[in-house]
Order: sequence, then C-alpha cells, then structure tokens
Amino acid sequence: MRRCPTCSIAIEGAWTRCPLCAAPAEVDAVGDAVPSPLPTVPLTFSRRRLLRRLFLTSLVVIAVSFAAQLVLGHRPEGFGVLRSGWLGVAAMWLVVLMAVRKRRNVAKGTVYLVVLIGLACVYWDYLTGWRAWSLTYAVPIVCASSIAALLIMVRAMRFETTEYILYSGLAAILGLAPIGFLTFGWVTNPLPSAVCGALSILALVLLQLARGREVRLELAKRLHL
Amino acid sequence: MTHRDWVRLDNASNIFLAARSAADPKVFRLSAETDHDVNPQLLQEALDETYDRYRLYHAVLQSGLFWYYLQDSDLRPLVTPEEQHTCAPIYQAGRRNLLFRVIHHRRRISLEVFHALTDGTGAAWFLSDLVNAYSRRRFSDSDRTLPLEGTSRADEAPVEPVHALSIDSFAHYFRRRHRSHASGSAFSRAAGPAAFTVDDSAQSPAARWNISRLRRRAEKKVHHVRGTRTPDNRTRAVELTMPTNAVLGLARAADVSITMYLTALFFESIRISSGGLGKARTLAASVPVNLRQFFPSTSARNFFTTVRVEHTYGQGKDDLGSICKQLESQFLPQATQEALEKKLRWFIRVERMPGLRIVPRPLKDVILGLANSHSNRGLSVAVSNLGRLSLPEPAESHVGRVLFHVSAVRPQFCATSHAGLLTVSFTSPFVETDHIREFARMLTGEGIDVTVAAERVTEDEIAEGLS
Repeated sequence: MRRCPTCSIAIEGAWTRCPLCAAPAEVDAVGDAVPSPLPTVPLTFSRRRLLRRLFLTSLVVIAVSFAAQLVLGHRPEGFGVLRSGWLGVAAMWLVVLMAVRKRRNVAKGTVYLVVLIGLACVYWDYLTGWRAWSLTYAVPIVCASSIAALLIMVRAMRFETTEYILYSGLAAILGLAPIGFLTFGWVTNPLPSAVCGALSILALVLLQLARGREVRLELAKRLHL
Repeated sequence: MTHRDWVRLDNASNIFLAARSAADPKVFRLSAETDHDVNPQLLQEALDETYDRYRLYHAVLQSGLFWYYLQDSDLRPLVTPEEQHTCAPIYQAGRRNLLFRVIHHRRRISLEVFHALTDGTGAAWFLSDLVNAYSRRRFSDSDRTLPLEGTSRADEAPVEPVHALSIDSFAHYFRRRHRSHASGSAFSRAAGPAAFTVDDSAQSPAARWNISRLRRRAEKKVHHVRGTRTPDNRTRAVELTMPTNAVLGLARAADVSITMYLTALFFESIRISSGGLGKARTLAASVPVNLRQFFPSTSARNFFTTVRVEHTYGQGKDDLGSICKQLESQFLPQATQEALEKKLRWFIRVERMPGLRIVPRPLKDVILGLANSHSNRGLSVAVSNLGRLSLPEPAESHVGRVLFHVSAVRPQFCATSHAGLLTVSFTSPFVETDHIREFARMLTGEGIDVTVAAERVTEDEIAEGLS
C-alpha cells in the first residue's frame, strides 16, 4: 500500500501523490499498491473547457458579424431593419460576455464596457453614413453614466482599494475624451460632451483629494519596472 | 388499465425535491465491502428477492397539482457495474424511473437512493437484507441450515415482509382523508410516511429543516466554506477508514459521544484549513437525528430531523476538548423525546394548515427552495453518523467496512461503523481537500491508523487514474 509520509496515512489506489496534501506518495515495505475501491470515472464534461470554448466561439462569431457589415456597404440607404437587428444582437452579446467575464472587478468591468460600447457605437455610426451621433450623444452619455455609477458604487459597496482605484481613475480619464471631441468640433450638440468632461474632472479631483496617496502607491506598484 | 396505488409525498421529503441542484442531486450511497469480488448474477438474484419484499422501493415519483406523489410501478431494478461517480443524479423530472440503484465494483455492493424515498436508516435495512440475501447465495454450502427470512435484528428492522407493516397511528390519520384511495393496499402502507406515535400527531414530521431556521435569528456571522467547483458537478468523495475502538477511546477521553467528537474535529480542521476563519467566526453544523429511536416505527420512509450545533471561535476556550463539551451540551437537550416532540408538533401543525395545502406544487417548490437556502445560510457543514451497523449472518462475517456517502451542497462527512472499522466519508461540491487533510492529520497525531481512499475528480487525477 502507498503511504503519504507528510500526513502519515495509508493510501488505497495507485496515487503518485497524496490525495489530501499532494505530497509525493511513497510505496511502503509491503509492496504493491492496493487497488482503489472506487473506480476512475471519466469526466462527463469539464466546466472550464466548456466555458472557454463558448467564450472563444462567441468572440469569433461577434468579430465575423461586425466585419461582415463592411462588405455589405456602409450607406444609410443600404441599412435595413435586419442589419440593425443583427448588429444590435452582436453588440449586446459582446457586452454581456464582457460583463460576465469581468464580474469580479466591477470597476474594471465598467471600463471594459465603456470602451466596447463606445467603439461599437462609433463603428455603427460609420456604417450608417456618419452623422456623428455616436460622438455627440452615445460616447459622452455612456462615459458620464459610468463615472456616476462608479462614484455611487464606491460609496455603497466595500471594495478593496487596489481593486477599483486604478480602473475608476481610468474611467474618469476616458471621460475626458469628449472634451477632445468638442475641441476638434466633431460634435453636433456640445452639451453631452461638456457635461461628461465636467463630471470627469470632478471625479478626478475627488479621487486625488480622497485617495491621492493610494493612487500614487498603486501606480508605483503597477508601473514598477 | 389497472389502477395504481399511490401516496402523497410528505413535506419532509418535498424539501429534497425543492433543494436538489446540479451539484447536489440529494442522493446518498451506502456501500458494503465484502471479502471477495462481487458476483453480479448472484447480486441480481439477491436484489430480485429483496425488491419483492420492499414495496416502497417499487415507487416512481410523479407530480400532481398540489403535491408530489409516489406511485407503485412494475419496473424491475438491474444490478450494474459502477460506471458513474458516487451519488450521481437519480430523479430527473419527467422520467419515471426507480428512485434507487444497486451497483457493484470489485468487492463493494452499493445502494444509491434518492433522499425523498427514504433516509439512511431505511436504506440500511434494505442494504442489509440485500447483502444477506447475496451472502446466502454466495456461501450457500456453509450456511444452509439458517432460516431464509429475517434471521435477526427483530429489535431494529422489519423482519416480516415489509409490505405487511402496520402503521396504526398513521393509518388512523391517513384514512381520515384518503379512504377512497389507496388506504388498504400493501404499497400505500409500505410507502406511507413514518408514524409519529404520539397522541393524535399521527403524521410525519413536516418541513422540519426549513421552518425551524426561519425562527432563528442570525446574530452570529456563520462561516461558509468556499472553493472551486468540480469540473462536472460530481461530488468530491474522500473516505477515511480507522479502527472504531481507537476513536471511541478518544471520544471517551473527551467525555462526549463519537458524533460530537468528530464534529469538533471537523470544526477544527475547517478553522485550520481556512487560515483562521476571517471575520465569520461561527461554525455551525446540522446533525440528523434518527427519530425511530424516540418514536418506535418500522416505516422505511424518511423519519429523521436535524439538530443544529455551533461554536464561535474567539469567545472563551477554543481547545478541542472544550469545543466537544460545548457541542455536546447543545446537542443533548435538543435530542430528547420531549424536545423533539415539541418541535415536530409544530411542524405537523404547519403541514396541516389548509392555507398551505392549497398552494400549487411549483409554488411550494419555490417556497421550500427559499426556506432551504435560508437555512443553508446558517450552516457551515453537515455531519451524519449512522452508528454501528450489525448485519444478519451470513452477511455479518463476510462484510468488512461499510461506507456512507451523501451528495453535498457544503462540506460534509458521513460516518458509520462495521466490523470494528469506522469509516468517515467526506463529501463536498468543491475540489479542495484541505479540511480532510487537517482532519486526518489530527487523528494520526493521536496515534490512530488512518487509511484514505479518494474518488478521482480533477482532470489531472482522472488522467492519472486512466493511464
């Protein structure tokens, strides 16, 4: 029979490592391994592999869906209900996928969503003949909402500081982008961009005042060469 | 078309339907290890004989508008080699299959049962008759002189054919409402809920887990063990085998029962393996109590209740001896006839409330499911000790250790003892075995010989096992 010297227990079955502590098992003086009283049953499925395959397949399908839109042309008149529906489903799938994948870090997940939704909107706007609705309305509104959401969440939930602080900062910095849209005159209505920019600056100032030291320490750690 | 007998499933069993999940299909297993490789043909013959005597085991589960019910069937069970992991799902909604299976692997005969059908004690009766019928065939030469039916254990198990059970107090209650239905048949009597033979309380104990928890206020933060789910939802089962007397000696030295000693060890191993528990410092265990020892009954249906014991670390003495004492002092007052009777009376009143009876079954499932998850929040672990089993001859002399596994939603152990060997089988929905390691090390630290057998669960373990 095999033995685990660390746990000082006898092991039934041909285990090369102790099933309890994973230390190498040794064959004791008596000799052969006693056959295990429990059979080895193959896995019916592996959750980890299944989820990874599902994730990768989804990404491919979404990427192909987005790419196919280019082939179909990008004039407003070539855009029917069917194409809108298709794009909408692909975009929503992407958003859900990322939200689930990044569910453990709310701030990080929010940054991912802002970037993904922003890019999808800009692409959609481009496909439908560029009327600048994405930069005027969609991107600033999504940015501003996410910054407001993060400010509320930080108050309402208890996070590990390091978990959220950098990504909250990053979300606020992303919120500065609409100021750029304003400066370059890419927008048709200045109000949403202005509100978003103001909110970002406010969030950054609050972050600097309340947690400036922690942000600097965290940055020093993450950017350590 | 023949009219089939049926009985309503009581609330106590309904909880198992409401609480089952992919990771915890509410199945338990009892295995007996013989002294030779099992002969499948003889086992099949033995199963046929035993099956004919246990009408309850003929039942299939069906759902009505207000209740689930057990219905008699003509199905015949088949002995199969062990090809699934331990405690694999048995009941699947919509399938009319038997609620148990008999499997064999090398020297083991295992009985797996869906918990809504019966409890550990009820299953132990079936297994003991099955193994005895098998042993009589296998060792027929030496034991020809023994009588064939019900050789011993008149004190604990039904020795008459089980369908001849008389459950007077239950029948009294049952007839009042279901006279027109299956009142007189063998099936309905065998499949009737266990009798609760106190005054007019001739009904089974009702939803005893859930509602008792609703009344308890959660003042202390109960520790929950977390971990990585197994790859295909199978139960992680690890069996520790040790000499019964040695552990009994340790329990006696601590002046507590063996169940409370093992529970205290379990708490300690959870504390050590979790790295000090963190903020939630209360460990709580649910301990099933066999009601047949307080309210004599020969029903094979579920007839147990659970008692909750807890220990909060960091408030007073935390050494093993003190924890043992504290758990015992909580357990004993709850496990008396008076205390249990009071508790069960309350459950029975709830089950009989007309308002609750007319709630449709899917809604009952939801309510019971919620009540169950509420009670789960108050528990860290579960322990179950079936005690020392004795089998009739010739089975007794040919069976070594007996093992008891339960599918688990939280780390759990099930203990039972036979032939001087105590088996403590840990089950868990998680891959981690750290608490079992600490448990085993504490026992070996006391000079006890411990043997471990584990089911292969992770991809790496299975790859090694198949190579």
